Order: sequence, then structure tokens, then C-alpha cells
Amino acid sequence: MITLDDVSKRYPNGTFALRDVDLHIEAGDFVFLVGSSGAGKSTLIRLLIREELASTGRVAVDGEDVGRMSRGRVPKLRRKVGVVFQDFKLLPAKTVAENVAFALIVTGHSGGVVREETERVLSLVGLAQRRDHFPNQLSGGEQQRTAIARALVNRPRILIADEPTGNLDPVTSWEIIKLLTRVNELGTTMVMATHNAEIVNALRRRVVHLDHGRVVRDEREGAYAA
Amino acid sequence: MRWLAYILTAAGQGFTRNPAMSIASTLTVTLMLTLFAFFLTTDRGLQAAVTVLEGKVEVALFLDDNAKVSDVLALKGRIERDPAVARVDYVTKDQALQRLKDIAASRPDFAFTDISTNPLPASLEIKMADAREAKRLAQDLRNEIGKGIVYDVVDNPQVVDQLLTITRVLSVGGIAVLAMMLFVALFVIVNTIRIAVHARRDEIEIMKLVGASDWFVRWPFILEGMLVGTLGAIISLAVLFAAAGPVTSVMLDFLDILPVSFGPNFVAQLVGSVFGVALLVGAGGASLSVRTHLAK
Repeated sequence: MITLDDVSKRYPNGTFALRDVDLHIEAGDFVFLVGSSGAGKSTLIRLLIREELASTGRVAVDGEDVGRMSRGRVPKLRRKVGVVFQDFKLLPAKTVAENVAFALIVTGHSGGVVREETERVLSLVGLAQRRDHFPNQLSGGEQQRTAIARALVNRPRILIADEPTGNLDPVTSWEIIKLLTRVNELGTTMVMATHNAEIVNALRRRVVHLDHGRVVRDEREGAYAA
Repeated sequence: MRWLAYILTAAGQGFTRNPAMSIASTLTVTLMLTLFAFFLTTDRGLQAAVTVLEGKVEVALFLDDNAKVSDVLALKGRIERDPAVARVDYVTKDQALQRLKDIAASRPDFAFTDISTNPLPASLEIKMADAREAKRLAQDLRNEIGKGIVYDVVDNPQVVDQLLTITRVLSVGGIAVLAMMLFVALFVIVNTIRIAVHARRDEIEIMKLVGASDWFVRWPFILEGMLVGTLGAIISLAVLFAAAGPVTSVMLDFLDILPVSFGPNFVAQLVGSVFGVALLVGAGGASLSVRTHLAK
């Protein structure tokens, strides 16, 4: 589903964000990306949705060479890869349902599909009751669930979460993780960058450890620290 | 159709969210379009005037009474071969006298006493195909004076010359002023749209993240630019049509009887080109503005 072949990312100032990274993620996998701040986790995520291009090497998502695809193909890639961020990135003037529907509207779906899919995904994340609330009327966990609903509404094959629990208390974090594992069980490939050792250790999923841009550890049922 | 509603709503919001900037850019576009329409009209009017006057331009060649007919016909043939000449008419002494009598008959203030001899010369009347060449031709023919055939050459291309100069100056000056105005209008639109883009940067970020196409991101802004252009076009045409009547009567007083006709389709052409320019400038300015934002 995701393949990185000898990928390096070097910024114009000469620093390497990623160095000689080889990584293969199968469809349906659940992968934690761990490592200290600046280890290259976010850069790796940006390469997967083509917000940035690798300096050398090849990045493939769902069989497509991300670095070589035309500009016009990029939106189609992003519909296959949902992304969730630490800061939620919700539109404050839109309700929960509108924030979710937005992802369908701007990708050109008809009114019927927008209504149906929005309701489906709102029940999936447990926010059907809160559909008409605005983000500032929601708890952090509810805001993150709204963001997850928006990322899922286009039925992506991959869901990437960049520190999804970074702004949340432990209890709420667990709710979000439970939701994400459920999404993974429904067939979506899951890539999650995190600093939350407790969660990584409890779930015993695949752990890819980045340090100074290199993969220093890749374990099938790993822990947060070696 | 939800997406279409979204694009239209977003375009409208962009326009109303920052009214001061929207009004400023609309007025700038209005000013540019009014100037554009003014130059278009003036240019067309002058061209019509030139055409009318060109049709009237003649070079007249007065012939020596003793000129041999064969020489006159040879000269006539030579002039006819000039590509700038449309037609050459030979007017005999009798015909010239008859014309004078006709004129006298229609004018009561003109007393005409029968005279025994005909003092009027025969002439060659030259109709020009290209009025701008009249001066050159007259100059050429003046060289014939005193050789026994031609005794005078009369040409009157001065008005046309002046009119052509005015047209040329107006065209060059108009294009220069218009180019400047176009630049200013584009500049203002680019900045207006940039503000609109800035106001919606979070929305754009999310749109790109969830896989909206570049065109989907662009359309609201391009429509907003076209809206600015369209409003500018409507205002400038309204001003123009309101001013058309008074200006025309002033011009008629000023120019007296200059028979200027713009042609039957002129209004349609004017409205069409004003709207065309308005939409191009609006959409073009917006594209420029969004392009720099989307490029990253």
C-alpha cells in the first residue's frame, strides 16, 4: 500500500529530514511512527500526501509513484489518503456536519451522496447527536472525532494521523485510539505518528522508530522504546 | 449541485466580506472600461469622418486651353495607372460652364450674366482611392505646370491630413493610457483577490488536503474577479449611455455637420468589447493572484 525506496529528503539549507529510508506498509496494517521531535515523522507524512517531494528515492502510494504524478493527479491521491492532525484543522464557522460534508462538496459530490455519507461517518465516530454544534461548543475529543470523520468521509484507503492525541487528556486519547483501531479493523491502512508511549506499548502494533531522519528500528509488535 | 452552490456562495462571500476593497477594485475597473469605451468611440468616430472626407478628396488639374487632346488623354492615362487613384474624369470647358450655370440657378444671391466667351478651363478631376496619397500626387503633377498641358493643380487634403494626425495621436495615446489603466486595474484586482484568498486560507488548506482539484479551489476567486469586472462594465456602460446624448449634441454643435455614422452594429460591438475586456481583466487578475497562492 505504501512503499518508500531509499528515500532522502534534504532541505535547501542542507539539513536532512529523512535519510535512506526504506519502508513497506501492507494494506490493512496499523503502523506507529515514533521518534523525538524533528526525527522526520512529519516529513514522511508530507511525502505520502505530496505536500513535499523526496529529494532522492521513490515514494509509492497504492501503486502510484507519488513523486512522478502530475499536478492534476494529486487531488486523487489525497482522496485516497485521509489525514488527521494534532490541531484538528476544523472550520470554526461550520457545524460538525458541515465540516464533514465540506470534504465531499469540494470533491464534487452530489447532494444525495453528501447527506448519506456524512450521516454514515458521523454515526461511525459517534457524533450523530452533535451534528449541529460548532467546533467551539465541542470538547477536544469531539473536535478530533469530527476531524477523523472528515478524513474518512471520502472513504480513503489510508488514514494518516499526525499526533492525533497530542492535545488531548489520557482518557480522551484512549477514545480516539479506540476509534482509530476500529477504523483500521474496517480495512483502512493506518499510519500514526505519536509521542504517546502508553498507547504504543498497550497496542503492540508495528513500530517504526525514526531518529535523525533514519529508520533505526522496525518491529512487528513493537514498544515505544527499544 | 452542492459543489456549484458552494463555488457561487464562496465567490459572493469573497466580494461582500471585504466591501471597501471590492468597491475600490470595481471603481478602478469602471474607470478603465469607461476610458476604453471612450477611446473606442472616438476612434471609430474619427475613422468614420476620415472615410467620409476621403471620399470627397479630389485633386483637380486645370488644363491649358491650348493643350492638345491627345496629350491630355495621355496624361489622363498616366494618372489612372497610379494605384492611389480611383477614377479620373475629363471635364470639358462646356461642362464646366454648365456646372457654374446650374449652381447659379439654385442660388438667388448669385447673378449670372450671359457671357460670350467661356473663361472656364477644362479639367481632369481625380478621385483618390487612398486620400493620404493626394498630396504626393498633386506634388508630382505640379511638375507638369508650364509644359503646355497643365496650368494649375488644386488639392485639398489638409482636413484629411489633420484628421489622420488626430486619429494617429489618439490611437497611440489611447493605447498608452489604456495600457496603464489595464495595469492598474489588474494590480488592484490581484490585491483584492489576494485578500480574499488570505481570508479563506484555512478553507483552502483543508480543500487541498481532502483532495479538491486546483480548479475547484480557483473557481470562487475567478468568479469573484469576473463579478468585479461585470459590475465595472455595467457601471461604465450606464455612465456612457447617460452621457451619450449630451455629448453627441455638443459634438454636433462643435463639428457642425460632420456626417459621422458609427455603423449599425456599433452599440452591440461596444457593449460586447466592454464586457469582454471586463471579464478578461477580472478573471485574469484573479488567476494571477490565485496562481501564486496555489503554486506552493
